[in-house]
Amino acid sequence: MPPYISIGGYSDPPRMPYLSVEVGKGEMVAITGPPGSGKSNLIKSMAGIRGFAKGSIKILGSRAGTLRSRQNTVFVFQNWNFMPDLTIRAQLERKAALLRGVPVRDVRLDLDRWGDDHGLLKGLDSYPRQLNRSQLQMLSLAPLALCRPAVAVLDEPMTNLSSLMVSSALEVILSILEHGAVLVLCHGRSPAAGRADRLVNLA
Amino acid sequence: MKGSNTYFYRESSSLLLRTRWVGPYLLVPPMLAFMVYAEAFLAAHGVAGIATLGQRTVLAVWNGSFLLSLVAGIKSCIYFSRTWGSDWFHNSLALPVSRSSGYWGPFLAVLTVASCVFLLTIGAVVAALPDTSRFPMIQLVAESYVPVMWAVSMGAFLGMLTTGTAGAVLLSALLLLGFIAGLPVVSIPEWLHYIIPPLGRLMTLGMRYPQGLQQVIVLLAHSAVFLMAGRLLYGIAVRRR
Repeated sequence: MPPYISIGGYSDPPRMPYLSVEVGKGEMVAITGPPGSGKSNLIKSMAGIRGFAKGSIKILGSRAGTLRSRQNTVFVFQNWNFMPDLTIRAQLERKAALLRGVPVRDVRLDLDRWGDDHGLLKGLDSYPRQLNRSQLQMLSLAPLALCRPAVAVLDEPMTNLSSLMVSSALEVILSILEHGAVLVLCHGRSPAAGRADRLVNLA
Repeated sequence: MKGSNTYFYRESSSLLLRTRWVGPYLLVPPMLAFMVYAEAFLAAHGVAGIATLGQRTVLAVWNGSFLLSLVAGIKSCIYFSRTWGSDWFHNSLALPVSRSSGYWGPFLAVLTVASCVFLLTIGAVVAALPDTSRFPMIQLVAESYVPVMWAVSMGAFLGMLTTGTAGAVLLSALLLLGFIAGLPVVSIPEWLHYIIPPLGRLMTLGMRYPQGLQQVIVLLAHSAVFLMAGRLLYGIAVRRR
């Protein structure tokens, strides 16, 4: 079976001179490195919203950035990607509906259930500025649980989480492995790195 | 995939219906009322010429169009600049949405809101005027809508090109220039009317009797050129960032 994520000879100097890694189904790979080592640029390159100097990135067999490569993939950025002027619910529902290809009303119940399970039901109807960083970080992982993508690419998914939420977040991330692949970009001491099948250190 | 082309349109519509963005449109009715009273006052005191009922009708519609173009233009510059320059927008391009919908979605959302406000404003003006059956109102309303479209298109271009405030200042200057250049007392070479947006010319021609198809075409061409230039800049910005 071809790898779900394939990064070959990726180069984005001066931060990241060379990277090659493949992630197959049911596998979680963590790319670790200190701040400024090019991890956030890598996720943007994978999402096709930033160019890079050399190499190739393929997601589910398609070149990174193409619509096909984004259709069954969830990217979670370090800054959570929430719009400040809309409620979290409005944003998550639309995102999840878009990723699942269903109307918004079809994801509402699932989102409520997920929010309730993680003690974030009230937070769903709040604006981003009304929540703390830990809550926002956890909510940014909701599309993983709601959409069950084949590929998840996560940038520092644990950094801001309170200790109470770490195990819940890990559970959400690991649930993807039943049918997909996960690439985590994080620092070496992140709990996500501890649970990864393989580590690629950029330092 | 369902929703892949309407995502940004719906997100933008939700944002634009918030008080912060709808609020500026509330300035239009009092400004319009002030202009109508000021014109009547000036005419009564001999400062402006006495207008016939027909001219006052047409002028009221054009005043509404001009004010709305100004507000919609300024608002578009600020909205587009903030949206396209924001991290959440840029990262949203990682979703399974077509990249060009990131340009057309917000543009259409702003245009939809501006069009709705235009219809309400002009509808209110026309309803308040007596005996409008003598004028080709549909033609007049259609012509007076073109400046609103021009303002939003220009707003998209300037919002892509510069900051919201700078774009708003530039747009206001262009709108005023286009307005002043078309006044009968201002004499400029004929060819300049094709470069400067013929907003004022469209209005003064419309004052005599609704006409000015040529000006409508020139203004539509202006809008299309700037809209496409904005799209081009957007494409470059998305690739380069």
